[in-house]
Parts: sequence; structure tokens; C-alpha cells
Amino acid sequence: MRLPISLLSLSLLCLSSIISAQQSAEEQITSFFNANTKSDTTSGSGHTNNWAVLVCASRYWFNYRHMANALGMYRTVKRLGIPDSNIILMLSDDAACNTRNKFPGCVFASAHGPGRATGKGGGGQDSLDLYGDNIEVDYRGYEVTVENFLRVLTGRVPPSVPRSKRLLSNDRSNVFIYMTGHGGNEFLKFQDDEEISAFDIADALEQMWQKKRYSEVLFMIDTCQANTMFSKFYSPNILATGSSEMDEKSYSFENDNDLGVAVIDSYTHYVLKFMEGINKTSQMTMQDLFNTYSFDKFHSTAGVRSDLFNRPLDKTYITDFLGGVSQAEVLIPLPPSDPPLEPESQHEYSAAPAPHDFNTTSEPKEEEVSLFPELATHLLDDAEKSTLRAWTSTAVLLGLVGWVAARRSASAKASP
Amino acid sequence: MDNFKFEVVFPALVAGRFLLALTPISDALKHDHILTSPLTAYPRLQEGLYLFSKGIDPYSGGVFRHSPLFLALFSTVIPLTNITAALLWTASDAISAWALVRIWRARQRIQRSSRDALVAALYLLNPYTLLPTLALSSSSFENALLLLSVMFASEGQTSPSLLALAFLTQLSPPSVLFLLPLLLLLITDPVSHLATPRVFPSKIHNIIPPLGEFSIYFAALTFASTLVCGSWSWVGQSWGATLTLPDLTPNVGLWWYFFTEMFDHFRPFFLMVFSVHLLIYVVPVCIKFQHDMLYVVFLMAGVLAAFKPYPTLSDPGLFVSMFALFPETYPYLHHPLVTALLHLHSALLLPLFHHLWLSQGTGNANFFYASTLVFGVSNGAALLDAVWSGLRIAVGHVPESHEVVQE
Repeated sequence: MRLPISLLSLSLLCLSSIISAQQSAEEQITSFFNANTKSDTTSGSGHTNNWAVLVCASRYWFNYRHMANALGMYRTVKRLGIPDSNIILMLSDDAACNTRNKFPGCVFASAHGPGRATGKGGGGQDSLDLYGDNIEVDYRGYEVTVENFLRVLTGRVPPSVPRSKRLLSNDRSNVFIYMTGHGGNEFLKFQDDEEISAFDIADALEQMWQKKRYSEVLFMIDTCQANTMFSKFYSPNILATGSSEMDEKSYSFENDNDLGVAVIDSYTHYVLKFMEGINKTSQMTMQDLFNTYSFDKFHSTAGVRSDLFNRPLDKTYITDFLGGVSQAEVLIPLPPSDPPLEPESQHEYSAAPAPHDFNTTSEPKEEEVSLFPELATHLLDDAEKSTLRAWTSTAVLLGLVGWVAARRSASAKASP
Repeated sequence: MDNFKFEVVFPALVAGRFLLALTPISDALKHDHILTSPLTAYPRLQEGLYLFSKGIDPYSGGVFRHSPLFLALFSTVIPLTNITAALLWTASDAISAWALVRIWRARQRIQRSSRDALVAALYLLNPYTLLPTLALSSSSFENALLLLSVMFASEGQTSPSLLALAFLTQLSPPSVLFLLPLLLLLITDPVSHLATPRVFPSKIHNIIPPLGEFSIYFAALTFASTLVCGSWSWVGQSWGATLTLPDLTPNVGLWWYFFTEMFDHFRPFFLMVFSVHLLIYVVPVCIKFQHDMLYVVFLMAGVLAAFKPYPTLSDPGLFVSMFALFPETYPYLHHPLVTALLHLHSALLLPLFHHLWLSQGTGNANFFYASTLVFGVSNGAALLDAVWSGLRIAVGHVPESHEVVQE
């Protein structure tokens, strides 16, 4: 009777230990995946890579400011560390080389003034030429369509689309989506030809969530009645912000008298101004950005939607979305490789060299066999070997020439 | 020009060329595709010397295709700087012109003549030879070696002639075309027999001892080359380049464009065809001109000028300059004006189309290819005219109502 009870208790003990072991294994696994969130140096976001999708949905010269909006965000995002391979830039790209552009090949975000260079580059931050030499536009001209935008977001692209035009994000990506153009109540006009609705974008983002194509999304939009565009989102981990409420217009910031058009929109101008103070190591948060919103500056009510967003805004860094910062681990450097033979090292008349041990650096290594230790054991290096060979060869050549010359003079003396 | 003294003209021209070589013109010309080729370009030579001095095998990349003898010479006894390069290339031109004058004198069997200055000037002032020298192309050395070899052969000195030819063949394997004519020249004389053709005067088997001597010199130089490199990798990169045409950099020849558009499976066949094509000229021309072997050497220079794998302007330059040795042919030239104009035409078009294609970008490769075709036609026309006039001399004056018929 006692044996079965002991057996039962033993088996119960084993079972519970197995279960607890499994649980601890599970704990181990969850703690591994949550390692980032417990670290002090990160903001608690679990992302490992950053992507940016910057869309300017307008074309024609008079929409210069939308081009400048998108290009300004492009420059900011690049400066903060997201590489071109992780940026999808969609522009109609007809402002820089437009025949009406007084500064060909340049797109400026500020009006002409004493601080502005009238050529490429130069000047301060906001007189920067946003177009410049180092730019990669992925979708240009007539490729900026609603269909392409939705295909980029959802990843449903035909096989012929090159890598640079794909959003290759995964479930640990933070994606920054910026859109600008002419918009209205729950729609955005694309290229004066078609429109995308807030429902379309919401569904696309849901597809992204289902297909694990993002960890978190920051959706920023600068159009008229912008806040309506993100009112229909329903997927988790999305933080959205826009420039104006329903029935409000968004205003441009300033006109340039030389170009004859407005060069930047108010909302984007102030956001870019805020971003000028951010660098890759900055720990400014999204709340700091949102605190700078003011009706007096924008002349419109900028909005924020954070109900779908899990983390607190004052713990979410700007660089979580706009920067390409990554964690790096520093390894202990390996010891330097051993120098060539020293005459004073121990010589052994053995055939096999002693095995090397890279973890210990201090002992002199026993190297190859040397039968004549008193002679210089300095081997000829390659350059010296070359010189030696060259001299020998030249000697052969000149010897040949001399021999022929000698023969010739001998034969000249011999024959009259 | 007949009354100018050779002793005055020659140093003056050499000094002028040296002064020209000291100007920065070399820096502008040394990258030119018309004046240099992948086998002869000076920047490649510098690259190879630098790699060699660091102990890296210069033949491991595809840049350096010069002979290893250059590696040996220029890294030891003649270090290449601006001054020494100018001196060296001017010296090679001076030697070429002087050798040409000596050949001329040997052919005329005189110690000096009134035409010496003209002959020297025809080499030193020839733009086809002047410009590649200024561009520091090693094809100038090839010209100098050939003229030295022919000079020694004309004066009856076998060993120096064969050594020079062995050196030349080391630098440029297509020059093996000159071997048979030179051997035959060694056992005959350089005097002009164009007007009086006769059967070959010596026994053919007399060329076998000089041939053996040539082989010994060639083997010794090959040994010296292998010694410099420490391996046989140089053979494939330098000599193999003329056989397999790995580098399709544009030049004034007829091979490069043809092989840019060649399908890979036809390549070996056409490489063989083009190489054998060079060889098939040797024996027939030797037979037809067996009475005057110096003229055969001249015609072989013409064949190489037109059909060499990697020519530069020096090769047709040599041919044009050697025309000075044969004034007896001038009255019998069939179309000298056409040839001259074709040469002028192509000499103007070649740099123009090269610039349009590669600098300005408004033309394409076909432009330059067309100009190389015109250049090939002009070289071919010159060669044909040389052959024609060399044969026509023997016929002499043709009276009215008679005509020349060849059976």
C-alpha cells in the first residue's frame, strides 16, 4: 500500500517539477523577448529596424510646398539615421527640374532672404537645398498612385518590383508614414486624378498588422482636414497626428517672391523646426513634439490620436520612429596577432611548431625551426624579394647585351 | 631639305623633341586611346612598377600587360621619373631616326648622303611617331628595336640584330612576323634590287644557324622574364593578351570592336582566324619579293600596322616613316594622293569621334569604330600601293600601246 502512494507522490512531484520547469522555460523565453523593455537605455519599444514611407500626393508647380514638405521629412529622416534602403519616397518629382523653377535642380523649404543660398547648399538649416545630389526617389511621377501606395504598405507587389520599391518591414519594424497633399473629409487627393479614403488606409494598416508588417506605426499627415484621415484606424500600436481638424484648412507658411509659390506648409514647417533640435542620441519624446502644437502658430488645430498606442507618449522617443538608431554591443577586442620571429625567442630543434593560443597574449610563442640561430633569421619580405629578382634579371639582360657587343667587336676585328 | 646638314638637323630635332617631352603635354596624352594601347600605356606601366615594388605580383590583376623585362629595367637601372621618362623616350626616338638613316645609307651603299636629314626628319617630325612618344607609350621602344634590328641586319651584324629582334618579340609577340624576313635579309644584302628581280641568291638553309641563335636569345630573355616574376603568370597576361584579347579598350585597330560584339562561342574561332591571318602574309611576300628582303621587312611593318591586335599610332607611323627608304618607288605609286588624303581624313576623325563618344557623350562607339575602319582602309591602301610600286619598278617604262600584264 505504501509503495503505490509513494509512487504516486513521486510521479506528482515529477509532474509538478516538469510543469514548473516548463513555466520557467516559458518565463525564460518571455524574459528574453522582453529584454529590451526592461533595459534602461531604450524607450521600451521592441523594434529592431525603422522604415519610413513618405508620400507627396500632389503634382504641378503650384504644389511646390507639398514637395518641400515631403523632402524636408526625407532629409530629417535620413539625417537621423534611416538609410535610403529603408525609405520609400513617393513624389511626383516635378518641382526641382520644372522649367518654371528659378533655381534649377533645387527645392527649398524657406523663402529667399539673406540667409538663403541662391544655388546648391550653403546657408543655415532652413536655407538648405532639399533636393541636392544625394536623393533616391522610389516612386516618381505617374507611379505615385493609390494602388501603388496601398501595395507598398501591404506588401502585395508583383515579383518584378525591385527591392528598393518594397516595404520590407517585419514585426519588429517601426514604420513612419508621412502624407501630404490636398485632402478633405476622410479623403486625400492623389495626383489630381484619384483619391484615397481614410477607410482604405485603415484597412491597409490592418492588413499590415495581420501580416505582422509593423511593430508600431507613426502616421503623420499634413493636408486640409487632416485629422479625419486617421479617424478610421482600428489596428493596434498606431500613433497618429495631423495638421487640422474637420472643416479646417491647413495653411502654408510663407511665399517666396522669386519662385512665386508657397514653399512650405505651416504644420510641417514647425515640425521640421522641432526636428532640427533632434539628433540621433536625442531623448526627446513624442509628447514634447505634441506640446509644441499651437493654434496660433499653425492657424489650425493639430490633433493627436493615441488611443491605439500602447506606450505612454512621454516615454516614446522621436527617434523610435524618425531615427534609425540601433543597439550595438561592444565586444572585447581580440589580442593582436603575433609579430614575426624574434631571434631571442626559445628555439627548439623540433619539427612541429607549438600550437598558438589566442587567449593568452603575454608569452613569446615558439616559432619555426631554425638550425642556425646565430645568423639573422629575418626572412626576406616580398618587396625585397622583388628587388632581388629584378636585379638578377637586369644582370642577365645586360650580360646578354654585353656578350653580343663583345662578339660583335670580336667578329668586326676578325673580318676586315 | 636636301642641302641641310644631317649633323645639324638631327641634334636640333632631338633637342626639340626633348624640350617638348618636358612640357606637361605628356600628362594629357598618356591616357589617350589612340596613342597608347592596353599593352603599351604608361599609367599601366607605373601601376605595375608600383605593385612590383611592394612585392605584389603585378600580373595578378588585369591592368599590367607589359613585358617583365620592363619591370626589371625600370625598377633597377632606369627609375622612371618625369625627367628620366622624357630622356628615355626621346633617346628611343633618336635611336630610331639614327637607325633609319643608317639603314638608308646601307641601302645606298654610301657613307653619307644629302638626303640623310630628310630621312631623319621623316621619322622625328612624323606626327604618327611623335605623339605616341610624347604619350610615353612603350610602342616607341618597339619601333626603336625593330629599326635597330634592321639596321644591324643591313650592316651584316648578325648577333645584335637577332638580339634586338628577340627583345622586340618579347615586348610584342606579333613582331615574330619580322623573323623570317630578317633572317633572309641577314644572308642577303639590303641594297635595292627592286628594279632587277632575281631568284633568291643564297641557300635557304643558311638561315638555320641564325635561327638557332635567335632561339637562344629568346630563351634567355624568357628566362630573365620568368626570373623577375618568379612564376609563369606573366605569359598569359602579356603574350596571352595578343592571342586572347581580354582587354577590349578602344584603340585604332580593327580587332577590338569586332570582338566586343562577338558571341562567346565564336570567340576562339575568330581569335584563331585573326592571328593566323597575320601569319599568312609572311611566306607569300617573302617569295614575291625574294630579291629585296628589306622591302619585305617594310611590307611586314605595313601588315602589322593594319592588322595588329593592339596597335597604336606608332605602328602605321613606322610604316610611313620607312617609306623614306625607298624613293625608287615614288614614281610608280598608283594612288599616293588618295592614300595621303585617307590618312589625313582618318587622323582628323579618330580623335574627333573618340572625343564625341567618350568625352562629350553625344556620339557612340560606332562613330569611333567607323573612323578606325577608315584608318584601316588608309593603312591597307598604303600597303597595297607599296606592294604595287615595288613590283611595278621591275617593269620599268611602258611605251605607248603596251600594257603591263601579270601572268
